[in-house]
Amino acid sequence: MKRWLALAAVIVAVALLPLLLDPRGYWIRVFTFTLLFAAMAQAWNIVGGLANQTSLGHAAFFGIGAYTSTVLLLKFGISPWLGMLAGGALGGLAALVIAIPTMRLQGHYFALATLAFGEVMRVIANVWTSLTGGPGGLSVPFVPPSLAAYSFKLLRPHAYIALAALVVVTAIFEIIRRGAMGYRLRAIKQNPAAAEVIGVDTTRVKLQAAVISGALIAMLGTLYAQVAVFFDPDTVFGIASISIRIALIAIIGGVGTAAGPILGAFFIIPLEEVMNDLLSSRAAGLSQLVFGVILISVILWRPRGFITVFDSLRARLSRSGAS
Amino acid sequence: MTMLDVRKVSRRFGGLQALSEVTFSVNQGEIVGVIGPNGAGKTTLFSTLVGLIRPDAGTVTLDGKNLAGLKPHTVAGLGMTKTFQNVALFGESSVLDNVLTAGLLRHGVDAARSEALHCLDRVGLRAVAHKEAGNLSFPERARVELARALCTAPKVLLLDEVMAALNPAEMREIMQLIRSLRDDGVTLLVVEHHMRAIMNVCDRILVLNFGRLLADGTPGQVASDPQVIEAYLGRPAEAARR
Repeated sequence: MKRWLALAAVIVAVALLPLLLDPRGYWIRVFTFTLLFAAMAQAWNIVGGLANQTSLGHAAFFGIGAYTSTVLLLKFGISPWLGMLAGGALGGLAALVIAIPTMRLQGHYFALATLAFGEVMRVIANVWTSLTGGPGGLSVPFVPPSLAAYSFKLLRPHAYIALAALVVVTAIFEIIRRGAMGYRLRAIKQNPAAAEVIGVDTTRVKLQAAVISGALIAMLGTLYAQVAVFFDPDTVFGIASISIRIALIAIIGGVGTAAGPILGAFFIIPLEEVMNDLLSSRAAGLSQLVFGVILISVILWRPRGFITVFDSLRARLSRSGAS
Repeated sequence: MTMLDVRKVSRRFGGLQALSEVTFSVNQGEIVGVIGPNGAGKTTLFSTLVGLIRPDAGTVTLDGKNLAGLKPHTVAGLGMTKTFQNVALFGESSVLDNVLTAGLLRHGVDAARSEALHCLDRVGLRAVAHKEAGNLSFPERARVELARALCTAPKVLLLDEVMAALNPAEMREIMQLIRSLRDDGVTLLVVEHHMRAIMNVCDRILVLNFGRLLADGTPGQVASDPQVIEAYLGRPAEAARR
């Protein structure tokens, strides 16, 4: 009960934040992207955390989502909300197609195979100019603002939609983690042969996780497109911009936990922005260098993510409470 | 009533004939021991029965169903599972979660949890239900493995050296448990190196040597079979020296 109250308090606090930020300003944009990336890392966490398959190809599904809704809007005037559902279906399908050959792979081999798949999608999007606009990218057309058209004058509604998305994806993650599927995924992660022998259909469970994760991240691609308004293949299908970034967010925060990707996103996304703001004018590459040093330090300090800070705090509190 | 029927099952690994036309059948409620020197094919036989290894030839029939081409989880669903010789627990999960996962084969999460607690009771590990499985001692882990297999509600249970490293008192408990499972109607195949235990608990013994079935009979018959004595203890001269 206490936990639920605490959770509700945090959500309300985060929900109040956009009201304090300048609705035309820079920080509400950073805030919105932070929430979006937290949701993306949470969707990744279903495969990367629960099944422990470190996918470096989730940009493939993300880009499919961004392009599907935007192309449907541009060519047929279909609302991005419906486009989001179509993108989710296509993203889930793509995740299924890639999971069938790759799910037998483990560790580095899985990471490399998924990485390659993301790159293939980026190349296709660059070449298939008639559909995607090629390297020039796509602009989301401006339509009269309304919720139904997913169009707003200011960023505040976008921030709330991103927050809602984060809450929904986190809830899905938690339901999976606590339910039968979570037990099965943890079993597969630790010993696939033993899991099979005691009745876990390892193939099916892995495919289910891949499809749910891929579909969710594709739907978040639509949200991204609507906030960003302009995107090209190299951003939405990018290795560094999407695939590695969301894996990094989950890893820095704490893989396999619901809080991990949220902590990770609220650390990494604002940090990147601050670094760029402060350092990019000083010397080329300096902000990336400092960013990298900070990340490495964090990983050395907390190899299992920020989440462990709270675990040791709690341990210390209960110890001092007992004495 | 025949519960498990194995016909001419063969399996080769490269140059090694791990199983060679192994044929036997087991009645419902029987406790059958599988013995043989190291490398005789006992573990390979168990892995083949549950579908972890595909036989090159031969058929396995469980309760009238041909298991050809079925994956282990389907075989588990049909009622046959095994424990792992080297203990293959989900080490980072709690003991309860290890066993609960097996219960999900036939139940939802809540029912699986109470089923798992019941299985932990049977192996005497309820007290450590919330410990991390990887932190237990080896004999305890072997018993978790047993509880996990039990929680799939098997008709046929294959136990691969669950008594290794147990002290005599613990061994008696496990033998008691094996008998009580039989009384519940479970059919058991038991691989064990501890001869006295296996002779004591089993109705029948299969002897494997170099992948071949060397003998199939009551403990008394098998113990006096000259071929078995030779395979197991070496030539009579060596046997005499022991």
